[in-house]
Amino acid sequence: MKTAAILAFAGALAALLGLGVGTGWAGHRPNNEVLVGGAISQTGQYAEPAGRQVYSIKLWVDEVNARGGLLGHTIVLRLLDDKSDIQTSIKLYEKLITEDKVDLLLAPYSSGITEAVANVNERYKMPFVAYGAASTPIWEKGRRYIFNIVAVAEDYQKGAVHLARQIGVKKAAIIGQDSLFPRQAGKGAKDWCKKLGIDVVLEENYPTKQTDFTALLQKIKAADAEAVFSNSYFADSAAQLRQMRELNLNFKLYSSTIGPSLPNFPEQLGATAEYVLGFSQWEPLPKVLGHPGMQEYIERYEKRFGEKPNYHAGGAYGALQVTEAALKKVGSFDNEKLRDALATMEVQTIYGRYKVDARGMNSHEGLTFQVLRGQRRVVWPEKWAETKAELPTPEWSKR
Amino acid sequence: MTRVEHLRNLALLGACAVALAILPHALTVYLRSFVLFTMMYVVLALSWNIISGFTGYTSFGHVAFYGIGAYACAILVADYRWHWLPTLGVGAVLAAVVGVAIGYPVLRLKGPYFAIAMLGAAEGTRVVATVWDGLTHGGLGISLPSAETSLETYYAMLVLMLLTVVVAYGVGHSRFGVRLNAIREDEVAAEALGINATLYKLTAFTLSAVFPAVAGGIQAYKVLYIDPPSVFFVQITIAMALMSMLGGKGTVIGPIVGAILLYTAQELTWVNFPTAHLIAYGLFIVLVARFMPRGLMGFAIDRGWVRKGMVH
Amino acid sequence: MERSDVRSLYLLAAFLVCAYAMPFLVGAWAGTVRLDERWLGNLATVVVGGIMQGGVYAMFALGLTLIFGVMRIINAAHGEMVMMGAYLTWVAFFYLGVDPLLSIVLTLPIAFVFGVAVQKLLLDAAVGAPELTGLLITFGLGLTLIYTAELIFTTDFRTIPYAPGTVQLTSAIAVGQNRVISFVLAVAISTAVYLFLKLSRLGKAVRATALNAEVAMVCGIDVRRIYLITTGLAAALAVAGGALVSIQFGFNPETGVVYTLQAFAIIVLGGRGHYVGALIGGLMLAVLENLVSLMVPNGTAMVELAAYGLMISVLLIRPGGLMGVKEG
Repeated sequence: MKTAAILAFAGALAALLGLGVGTGWAGHRPNNEVLVGGAISQTGQYAEPAGRQVYSIKLWVDEVNARGGLLGHTIVLRLLDDKSDIQTSIKLYEKLITEDKVDLLLAPYSSGITEAVANVNERYKMPFVAYGAASTPIWEKGRRYIFNIVAVAEDYQKGAVHLARQIGVKKAAIIGQDSLFPRQAGKGAKDWCKKLGIDVVLEENYPTKQTDFTALLQKIKAADAEAVFSNSYFADSAAQLRQMRELNLNFKLYSSTIGPSLPNFPEQLGATAEYVLGFSQWEPLPKVLGHPGMQEYIERYEKRFGEKPNYHAGGAYGALQVTEAALKKVGSFDNEKLRDALATMEVQTIYGRYKVDARGMNSHEGLTFQVLRGQRRVVWPEKWAETKAELPTPEWSKR
Repeated sequence: MTRVEHLRNLALLGACAVALAILPHALTVYLRSFVLFTMMYVVLALSWNIISGFTGYTSFGHVAFYGIGAYACAILVADYRWHWLPTLGVGAVLAAVVGVAIGYPVLRLKGPYFAIAMLGAAEGTRVVATVWDGLTHGGLGISLPSAETSLETYYAMLVLMLLTVVVAYGVGHSRFGVRLNAIREDEVAAEALGINATLYKLTAFTLSAVFPAVAGGIQAYKVLYIDPPSVFFVQITIAMALMSMLGGKGTVIGPIVGAILLYTAQELTWVNFPTAHLIAYGLFIVLVARFMPRGLMGFAIDRGWVRKGMVH
Repeated sequence: MERSDVRSLYLLAAFLVCAYAMPFLVGAWAGTVRLDERWLGNLATVVVGGIMQGGVYAMFALGLTLIFGVMRIINAAHGEMVMMGAYLTWVAFFYLGVDPLLSIVLTLPIAFVFGVAVQKLLLDAAVGAPELTGLLITFGLGLTLIYTAELIFTTDFRTIPYAPGTVQLTSAIAVGQNRVISFVLAVAISTAVYLFLKLSRLGKAVRATALNAEVAMVCGIDVRRIYLITTGLAAALAVAGGALVSIQFGFNPETGVVYTLQAFAIIVLGGRGHYVGALIGGLMLAVLENLVSLMVPNGTAMVELAAYGLMISVLLIRPGGLMGVKEG
């Protein structure tokens, strides 16, 4: 036992040293570089939306370097993969900050992960602008080093609720996955229903991996709901729609938070996706939204990645524009000064206006769209609407 | 084992303790975390070994206790503003109570049925944590206010590990341990010899529940954010089992060696090969279980390097 | 059966009745249950839906119960084999243009060979060994399959749009076309396997081995070969289940885990090694889940609890399940 113990201990020590060498003890960068790092979901359930953000990040880094770098320093990008897992993300950020000693942090994706990471960067006093989190509770804890640019979860269903009101819906059901973002979206939907006089007859959460909604949908029908506000991602909203069709359940309106905004949604579901309402933080429609620099950004993005940027990409790019502007204003990478600049500046980006309140939250406005003939068309708010919403949804048998 | 050997082992442990106590001051925060988690897995593997290695009741749901401890700490610190240290005690007591409550009925089951029942219990605890919104915030998870410098949790985990090692060593080299082994080998015969199997099993089970709970609590305070899927993660139980098996189930030093080796290997692979590392992990589990079910200690004993104690 | 055996069976039956009554009682107390025709129509739809689904669940539980029955090994990778079946079907559909139901003809032999390989290389060493060995080997296999699938297919959800229409059974009860097709196929395949096990020589050899491997050997049965066939068959059943899943639901590499746990609950309920038990168990679990979801407030979140609660209760009352012997 003695030999074994000594061997194990020695092995562990050797490994420790190996780790140190393996991860590259930082602090010896050539002077003209700046290390920009973050962890984002490149695999796992968030890989699809986060992947679009990665595109924007890479585009931004290359553009900035072409212009002479950040404050004259060439950006070296270190983007790690958190596998869509909260615990992994926490570990990675700690490593990036304490081991790799990054100069500037990039945000992760998803409210859950951002909430967890916010504890880390707050502790080490390194600010960043979050583009992957839309849940208000993250900013209600008195944190000083995290800022947001996107519209909040509570407003995702705002347009859908307003449209429901317009077509005279009196009773609605709110369902969603049981995790941070969908629950906040549900809370917001409930508040909006209350404000607009719609009675919420059913409110229910389901486990994240749920695929069979037969009973839940029947329950909704039994409660006489006319509209369904579903705080769902791709798999669950797709399942709900298909099962609604299979069970011949007809609702006047169905709205989902994330699913419909993902590119494959209309393709994979075909006709079943028609008339579905979805929310988008931003669309690549320069003529409709008119933010400065949109056209050029869209063209460059499309040229490099073969598709138009969606709102995830747009948000990330906007946040990075803000960060760059703040750095320029401060003139150095000093964290405290950067934090103060981010807290007080007003910047116009391709994404929209950035100006945060005392909590660090922006007041970005998003848009509601409807899938019509396989295309997403903006239907709300009126100032940005491309066409009038085609509601109430015609029955399955009549399509 | 003679008295001299016991003293020698104690001295060895003391030396390790001193070394580990000095270590954090020389390391970066990240490496400190690494050592902390290694120690945590030593605790987990040793605890699992008490019920599954010594007593032969393979628990496939031990992560339930870990999760209970994590939630006890998180809820009390975040919602009730307790200081974190006493919450560990609460977690331990809670785990003991739950351990007795679950253990009493479930330990009646044999082999694979016990394993599945424990898996069901762990998953059931996860669902309860998700559904019991009012207490646990459900799927939202709990965020803890941060106050520590990473040294506090390190020392807490160090103390826990030393305690667990001492207890596991004590169990392994005492009459209590011999009787547990008797139960593992042939429960009916053991009962015939007058051993109250139910009492012994239950004691072992409860003992094995308490340490993971405290570990869970410390981890919660370190990581500062927990939610049901992360603290009731089935792969944590797998890790406990695998580490014990790798080192040598049923020995005392086995789980320690297994935990250190496996966690270090995992971390190295993950850092250097992020995508392939999970596939490698899966393959590794298959290979170890297939070719080395008696673990490294079993191998060493076969070769005569180590004297046989109470190995499987 | 002995007296204590019969007693425990009655106890289990009584418990199951209570388990089924529970959602109704809770619903009545909470006001979600109404006794008008429309609501009863809802209930009927949900029950019918549960039965359809149970048929498919049962089919992959059948494979799991075979392995458990013959070799006493718990296959923790069963859900991943289902997932593999779903991906194979999807690939055949999108790249080769093969109808998902027809592709079962292609995928079953592949699955069988895979199962045989797994048995030969990995599981033979686990037969007769402590249960941890089998559990860990299969768990490791499952993990490897998940992450390999992730590497090849990414974690994006896939699905096959097949027969999306509805079948109106009565004015109140509707069910999806693809559900009915899946159910019919599941029943057909399960019946075929059942007949094979009951009537054919090889099938009887499998059952004999499950009862007592030593005696079977003495009777001249090549037990090693039986093991290979069993795992091959189980893999084939899982993959067929995967094909049926692919046309009904979305799937990604991680969805298999949920199926494994449900299959565990089903075989516990039905009884180790009992094929009919697995079918009954599958139906019962699916229907119970749907009832809980329909009638219990916030029930959908608690559906998993129903499965685990059922499983643990059955284990405590009668580990052998409905159709096994008392001790299992």
